[in-house]
Amino acid sequence: MFKKKRPLQSKSEIVLRNIVVTFLVVYMGIFLIVPIIMAFLGSFHLWNPLNGTYEFLGLDNYIRMFQYPTFWTAMVNTLIFCAVVVLFRVLLGLGLAYAITSKMTKHKTFFRTVFYMPTVTPLVAVAFVWKIMYNPQFGLIDQVFGLDINWLYSSSLALPAVMVMTIWKDFGYAVILFMSGLLSVPSDYYEASHIDGANAWQTFRSITLPLLKPTMIFVVITSIISYLQAYVPVMVMTKGGPGTSTYLSSYLVYDQAFVKYNFGYASAIAFFILILTAVLTVISFKVTGEKA
Amino acid sequence: MWKKLLAAGMAAAMLMSVTGCGNDQEISHSGVTDTNPNKGLEVIGDNVTYDPNHLINDGEPVTLDWWLWDAADVFGKFAEAYEEIHPNVTINIINNPWDGFWTKLPLALQKGEKGPTLFNVHNSYQHLLLTYMAPYDIATEDLEADFFTAKSHEIDGKIYYTDYGIMTGAIYYNTDMWEAAGLTDADIPKTWDEFREVAKKLTIREDGKLVQAGFNYNGDYQVFMLGIPYQYGTTTFEKDMKTVNFTTEGMLKTAQMLQDFYDVDQVGDKDFGSDAAQSFGQGQSAMVYKWGNYKGTLETNYPDINYGTFEVPAVDGDPFAYDRYNGESTPGINKNASPEQLEVAQDFIRFYMANKDLQKELCMYYNLFPANNALRDDADIMGNPAVAAVAEHIENYIWPGAMPSTLEDNLKIAGQDIMYNHKDIEETLQNAQDIVNVDLANIDFTSSENLYYKYDK
Amino acid sequence: MNKQRVMSVALFIVLILAGIITVVPFVWMVLSSFKTNAEISSLHQTLIPQAFTLDNYTSLQSNFNFLRYFANSVFIAVVVTVLVIYISCLCGFVLSKYEFKGKNLIFGFVMMTMMIPWSVTIISRYTMFMKAGLQDTYLSLILPVMVSGFGIFMMKQDIGALPDELLEAARIDGANEFSIFHKIVLPMSKNSISAIAIFQFLWVWEDYLWPYLMIDSEEKQLLAVGLTTFNGRYSTDYGGLFAATTISIIPVLIIYVIFQKRFVAGVAAGAVKG
Repeated sequence: MFKKKRPLQSKSEIVLRNIVVTFLVVYMGIFLIVPIIMAFLGSFHLWNPLNGTYEFLGLDNYIRMFQYPTFWTAMVNTLIFCAVVVLFRVLLGLGLAYAITSKMTKHKTFFRTVFYMPTVTPLVAVAFVWKIMYNPQFGLIDQVFGLDINWLYSSSLALPAVMVMTIWKDFGYAVILFMSGLLSVPSDYYEASHIDGANAWQTFRSITLPLLKPTMIFVVITSIISYLQAYVPVMVMTKGGPGTSTYLSSYLVYDQAFVKYNFGYASAIAFFILILTAVLTVISFKVTGEKA
Repeated sequence: MWKKLLAAGMAAAMLMSVTGCGNDQEISHSGVTDTNPNKGLEVIGDNVTYDPNHLINDGEPVTLDWWLWDAADVFGKFAEAYEEIHPNVTINIINNPWDGFWTKLPLALQKGEKGPTLFNVHNSYQHLLLTYMAPYDIATEDLEADFFTAKSHEIDGKIYYTDYGIMTGAIYYNTDMWEAAGLTDADIPKTWDEFREVAKKLTIREDGKLVQAGFNYNGDYQVFMLGIPYQYGTTTFEKDMKTVNFTTEGMLKTAQMLQDFYDVDQVGDKDFGSDAAQSFGQGQSAMVYKWGNYKGTLETNYPDINYGTFEVPAVDGDPFAYDRYNGESTPGINKNASPEQLEVAQDFIRFYMANKDLQKELCMYYNLFPANNALRDDADIMGNPAVAAVAEHIENYIWPGAMPSTLEDNLKIAGQDIMYNHKDIEETLQNAQDIVNVDLANIDFTSSENLYYKYDK
Repeated sequence: MNKQRVMSVALFIVLILAGIITVVPFVWMVLSSFKTNAEISSLHQTLIPQAFTLDNYTSLQSNFNFLRYFANSVFIAVVVTVLVIYISCLCGFVLSKYEFKGKNLIFGFVMMTMMIPWSVTIISRYTMFMKAGLQDTYLSLILPVMVSGFGIFMMKQDIGALPDELLEAARIDGANEFSIFHKIVLPMSKNSISAIAIFQFLWVWEDYLWPYLMIDSEEKQLLAVGLTTFNGRYSTDYGGLFAATTISIIPVLIIYVIFQKRFVAGVAAGAVKG
């Protein structure tokens, strides 16, 4: 992109630039780079700052990680969790945003506010409320649907149950983003396509969707990043159970670090998640970027 | 406008952080100077005695923090009683939630003088805390003469903390259901075979659907598995007292029995009330296996349930041990505290250990069998159903030591795998054993099973 | 025309259904907060409390210093949100409107902060803060979150779209960069600022682990930490938890309602344009 370069820089501009650059460099050095290096070194040690243990182990933590069956269970669960929740978030978000922004819908603000409510509620609180809703004896869900299912203790239904809660909590975020995207599509695009005789679906596919590409990228990538780090729903609702069937990789980190106090081992897993995040982010950039 | 908001915010933040530092100072100057060493008070205690007639820290004001996770009122009485004797001492009770307590406490103990001087201990976290603890400045023989479990807490001849009371499991039964099933006190089972028959009588099905479980152990699998296998004479730990064996005869038979309750006898169901405690409280389950603290849960959440208790059934008339017990611990002392704080803390602990009345209150509050021998025949304590059930054979309960939580955690996972994921019992327990042994290799822990009087006999 | 009517009714039904599903858990939670513990876990459930009780609310204050925690949380959330907004705007302004060497590198690092799992940094950060003597101060809660990669990213996008001519005109009039930032850039970014405010307030409001690790004294503790005391070692006080949760949701909702008018437009300006 061509950008006109201003030849003259005023004194105050240089001062402001220097303040911001210095601040960011110092801040990120202290709060980002140093902790990452410390954690990286820690991942090669038997590390428990609580009783002062710090012994060099070499690659033991990493070897132990790959040999630990629960690690792989957690990885598979995380990928399933991430894929399903992101998919539903995008589909629901896009669908409902489309419905709200439609010319035929009244009370737009009302719906927008309602859909965004779960997103602005603290996750711990919401997860706890849902845990009680899933109770087989007095939970709302079995009561309403007349079912007798022990959701959170079923090896096949527990993870989907956690995913449903997460989707409910978060779809509003996507609704807002897609609404913003849809509203910024200039209306003459639609008029042009109407004159061309395209039906609603054709208009959506050939005009709306391509224009929503930046929004789509933003939603998908921020979702992937945050769901790879998700552990609160599992911590509150299932503690990884029954057995280890709902372990997520970040819950494993939480469990190893703050329940079992294996900080070195937890750091090793955390680094694996970091690499996975980076890889998935790049892939999703590539995929969404090349499609259109 | 933003500028003003920002300025206000910054100013407020500064103010807060400044006052934050200021607070510590303020507290340490509260409390008055004590000049009266002869208070005319009685000496209390049997072997561990406390003579209140002295000055502590030369009567100069001193402040210390005491961290706990529960029952600030009850523990607070110790602090109040002590402050009354020594008005120059201020003990701040700091109540932190149980979730995360064991992450926060060890980190705070590194802060020395500014950290807690006294802290309540749970023995499953001993491996995290021991490096910070100062031994009690009380003769070990005296402690062991007064407290029957103190010997098991001895480390190189010293005591860092011990139990004020012990807790174990018993069967809680709904007396209304018991009567409705035509059962009387004579039907209270002594063996597991009898227990299974009773449980069948207490089970009610309508149209093939379970409406009342005779026995419910959902959520209690790991507690059951860490206690009942002792009845077969097999121990959780190998002879080295460092590694576990989850595939002993006792473990496998207990696991099989648990499975048979639901699959063969059909006296309950894994999906019938995901939590036995709740199910019993709601009047859905007739019997549950619970530890002493359950009495408190019933009183708070389910005051309308009429219940009784009886000792856990045994495989035969004279089991190796009925069950495992665990202690509720006396406070630990932070060795990094200042000399003044340490002097007060040691004096306070002596007061704590000699004060039978307040120990009794704690035992009553938590439904514990008292560790202090002098409280053993106390009518009030023995009137507590949770205590009464276990009192007769209390010597025949074993303490496996301050077991790290990994045992219970992994047996819980194993239990869920067996119950809900339909995995093979022996294979699952073997798996859990392998994981626990890896964890234990990184923790300095030795079981005290071999201190039990029947061990190796 | 008829077809359009059918469509609009169908849309309305879909939206209403989705709305009901969204709202039901809230309604249930609020109603349950007026029930006794025994009723909450009883087998015969009704949506409306059978024995209406306010005990869960009144005992909040007597059981623990609820109002104090609440006020502390509001204070911290407001301070952090204001700081994040200001810093994000300032960094966004410089990173979008100025040309200098290393700009992209710095922006790359800022973006990276969004990708680092919390778990990687939290322990070492704890050690650092303890060595600096910052434990039990509010500074320790503010410092690590006052720079937000997400916020800088959004503001860079939004401010980048401001016409350069506008800034040039001000410069010709003799305004220095600081007053340009405060008098032109900030007021024109109200929409994205609203969006960040809503996101950031919630993030601070619900954060649990870090405040728990840093704050020792009870009078400084935050609400999210206080809420966990309902989940005791042996049993859970459901009624108390529902009541406290209900109250704890209110400030976030208020913030949302205040800023929501500009919210959609703000998100559009910051996040939607690629």
